[in-house]
Amino acid sequence: MNKLKVFIMLIAALALFLSGCSGFQTSNSSNEEAAVNEDGKTVVDFWTFWGSEIRRPIIEQIITDFNESQDEIEVKHTYLPFGDIWTKELAAIAAGDPPDVVINDINATALRGQNKQAMNLSQFLEKDDISKRFYPELWDATLYEGDSYGIPFNTDTRVLFYNKDAFKEVGLDPEKPPTTWAELEEYAKKLDKKAGQDYDRVGFYPLWGIGYDVWLLNANGQSYFDDQNNFEIDTPKNEEVLNWLKTWKDRYGEDVVNSYQAQIDSQQGHPFFNGDLAMIAQAPTFYTQIRDYAPDLNFGVVELPEYEEGNGNTSWGGGFVAEIPEGSKNAEAAWEFIKYLTDVEAQEYWAVKNFDNIANIEAAEAAAKSDEFTEDGTMVYEMAVENMEQTLLTPVPVIAPDFSSLINPNMDEFFLGSMTAKEALEKSQTDVENLIKKNQ
Amino acid sequence: MGKKRMTMRRKESIYGYIFVLPWIIGFLAFTAGPLVFSFVASFTNYNITSQMDFVGGENYKGLLTEDSLFWTSLWNTLYFVIFSVPLTTIGAIFLSALLNQDIPGIRYFRTLYYLPAVLSGVGVYMLWMQLLDPGTGMVNLVLSWFGIDGPNWLFDPDWTKPSLIFMKLWSVGGSMLLYLASMQGVSKSLYEAAEIDGANTWKKFFHITLPMITPVIFFDVVTSLIGGFQIFQEAYVMSNNGEGGPANSLLFYNLYMWKQAFTNFNMGYAMAMSWILFVIVFIMTMINLKLAPRWVHYEGEEK
Repeated sequence: MNKLKVFIMLIAALALFLSGCSGFQTSNSSNEEAAVNEDGKTVVDFWTFWGSEIRRPIIEQIITDFNESQDEIEVKHTYLPFGDIWTKELAAIAAGDPPDVVINDINATALRGQNKQAMNLSQFLEKDDISKRFYPELWDATLYEGDSYGIPFNTDTRVLFYNKDAFKEVGLDPEKPPTTWAELEEYAKKLDKKAGQDYDRVGFYPLWGIGYDVWLLNANGQSYFDDQNNFEIDTPKNEEVLNWLKTWKDRYGEDVVNSYQAQIDSQQGHPFFNGDLAMIAQAPTFYTQIRDYAPDLNFGVVELPEYEEGNGNTSWGGGFVAEIPEGSKNAEAAWEFIKYLTDVEAQEYWAVKNFDNIANIEAAEAAAKSDEFTEDGTMVYEMAVENMEQTLLTPVPVIAPDFSSLINPNMDEFFLGSMTAKEALEKSQTDVENLIKKNQ
Repeated sequence: MGKKRMTMRRKESIYGYIFVLPWIIGFLAFTAGPLVFSFVASFTNYNITSQMDFVGGENYKGLLTEDSLFWTSLWNTLYFVIFSVPLTTIGAIFLSALLNQDIPGIRYFRTLYYLPAVLSGVGVYMLWMQLLDPGTGMVNLVLSWFGIDGPNWLFDPDWTKPSLIFMKLWSVGGSMLLYLASMQGVSKSLYEAAEIDGANTWKKFFHITLPMITPVIFFDVVTSLIGGFQIFQEAYVMSNNGEGGPANSLLFYNLYMWKQAFTNFNMGYAMAMSWILFVIVFIMTMINLKLAPRWVHYEGEEK
């Protein structure tokens, strides 16, 4: 009986050891043998969340082209749903068996570099410096302590779409969209069409399509965090901006705002498509919805209006990077593929087929001239490319990764009327400062 | 006992252990192992990939003394449990009492009321988001027929939790089925005896049916309490992209824990949270077990 007990305890200890310790391993496995297929090619496991009917064939075409372009490497595509991909990647890194290339959010690239989840790419960049391919704003977002941890793939920006027919109807020049916030407000009032208590047409509402943060960015020309990671949100200007945003809500009323929001979320019944909404701030890809659901709409597109003349039309964007997870066994081959993926040919193909903004400048400019777009498509795409110059990203600072979830609830309270703008900003300022203190 | 018999018994127990070994290994590797690991990790700054330094009770101290979101999320969860558990229990008992009647077509009603329990997950939450939409949703439309100006439901921090509780009530089918089964198991002779003594329907319900099904009520309350404390998916789907908003009103305990673990990579901190939740649920369940003998009636049990 005693022997049996010892046996069972040994098994138990082994199981505990196996299950417990796998978590401790920080991945030093790059010396391990690389995965090779039966033809002797190195297999690169590439994870994306592009599984839709539209995107999947396009990324797979790019992969096929790459595989055929050389005979050393074979890229294998693995699709994971958007909500799952990064938790799965994290688990795979912890288990020491990560994919070789993964598409990840650009704004948290530095954070993953700091946490040793993404590989430092400077060893490759020293040999081939491809940093000049991309918009500087995007490139900077991938840096942590001066080293890049991901190569920009695609991006976006925010622009203003407006209905030209509605402009004509109220006597506004359809070729002269609003350029300042004051004009935006004046035009919106002209474009409003009221029938009793209800609206037949709403001119504009600033928080459909984009958030309050984009308007703060637009007014300030910079994010809450400066280069030294000092955080500043509690300013008189921000208070003014918030109050300005609130005036719109007060003017249209809670019910109008909510019911329009519901229609916007449902996409097909989007009020901009049927003329019930005259202007909306959106990402340029919004055009593909207009193309599919309202092909006859006579619309124009322009950069976001500026806070006041001369303040600048700053806009906000995000995007995705291709990175090599820490512990990848095929980093060299992965790098070769990433170079291909972010080079002009693949980028232009992605841009044209998806109507998506890409990180590679040369490819973006070539795509804007593509004859695959319709006239409207070209107009929007050109605007988007042009707008990249004044588009800012807001990378997550490593000293306060979760800062927005501290600010957002205060802003909710402000827009719901249970806090003043000053109170919401003051509270956000202290909350985030406390977080930074805690993380230092 | 002879020697031969002894070896037989011994052989038998060895075989016994060998047969249960796969389960034991599974338990140790996939339940006990991670359990021990998470307990150890809750005293570290573990972030999965780069660090795991011992920080003592720092995580626990931070949670209890410095983190206001911890208390917000705990309060949200308590609010949900306090209202949803009694309401769904009473709702399920009430429904099953109705469905326990002998009327024509009762089978169809039983199926109908059970149906929502079959559906689950994200699809249902998306459906409810549409139903509860203040502008275009069915719920406010129906209310407006009665001249009631419906609230903003998921957009108003005062109404978000009631919205979820309301939604929970819709899917009581599972516990309803348990109650129905136990009601059908109540001996007819008890009712007959009561009828002879002149008991009416209400008396029969309160003095026979209800006491006889208390073991099931007890089971249902304990499991839904534990389930209630673990609410996550509803909030993850229905609160501004899983942010827990508006104004943190749907930031439930598990949602906050998940955010700490997978958005901020504060795995050690999240594990400390999970152990605090374990202690809370453990105490709750113990209280339940202690109180149970006062009201739970087991047939054939000697008192």
